[in-house]
Amino acid sequence: MNSPDDIIARLSPVLSPWRRVGGLTALIAGLAGAVALGALWLTEPEPLPDRLHLGFGLLLALCLVWAGYGGWVLARRTPMFALDRVVAGWLAVAASTLTAVFLAVVGVVRDTPVLFVVGPLCVAVAAVVTFLAHRRRNALLRRKAELS
Amino acid sequence: MSDELLVVRCQLGERDALAELVRTWHKPVWTYVRRMLDAERADDVTQEVWVAVLRGLPRLKESGRFAPWLFTIARRAVADRLRAEYAQPPPETQPQPAGPQGDAFEAALDRAELVGALSALPVRERDVLALFYLEDFSLEDCALICGVPVGTVKSRLNRARRLLSEHLTRKGYGHELA
Repeated sequence: MNSPDDIIARLSPVLSPWRRVGGLTALIAGLAGAVALGALWLTEPEPLPDRLHLGFGLLLALCLVWAGYGGWVLARRTPMFALDRVVAGWLAVAASTLTAVFLAVVGVVRDTPVLFVVGPLCVAVAAVVTFLAHRRRNALLRRKAELS
Repeated sequence: MSDELLVVRCQLGERDALAELVRTWHKPVWTYVRRMLDAERADDVTQEVWVAVLRGLPRLKESGRFAPWLFTIARRAVADRLRAEYAQPPPETQPQPAGPQGDAFEAALDRAELVGALSALPVRERDVLALFYLEDFSLEDCALICGVPVGTVKSRLNRARRLLSEHLTRKGYGHELA
């Protein structure tokens, strides 16, 4: 029989913080990049040559693939404990705020009011995720205090 | 420290609690898996169980129901392994290690008889017998772990008891069982 310490040692890759950081970075950067590229592509004022459409499409697909990979890592390959979720939530808020600022600038320059809605929507989604993560962590902390 | 507190601390992300959880539950999990598989496969499957437990632990809603949840995962891992191996030709017989000496040897023989009798049972009956009698789970928890109604657990237990009794009687333990 393997000893518990053997098992703990073998579980280290699953618990590696770098795997979580990598997955989170891929998810957030992929989503932010996809939203920003999509906004630029859709609000392009002049007709674009086909090659540029292809370039936008490929870059957008690349961002979505990275976002999908990050989501898969976080959902399936590594456990996201309560504190991890809170940290991930705040990173998502920061990234979506930057994306919202970028979208607002694009909206002003290209006179596209809809972008003023998309940015805050992203921030709102990230804020809800962070709120839920905090609520779950607080519930666990309360339960821990009750049981201690 | 209660299991529930340990699980809550794990869900919060405390690494030392995770290590303690593994130390507390590793042997019961391995013992359960070992009753269904040989030692070498039991090691592999037990490790798979712990990986699945760690990945699923943050999503466990009822932290006070950790044990049935853990054994549900263990049971699924065993079933997956058996299902994968049923399609393959039977493995060659493994050489048995040398046994211990004296009284310990007798005890090991008795245990081997019991393990042998358990191994002779069909997987479903062996599974429910191990959970109910050896892991001390209630009928309801056995039903939850096996994913069947309580009535089915009772009928499997009845059949397991009968088959075990018949097997041990054939081996000459009849007067001790009476």
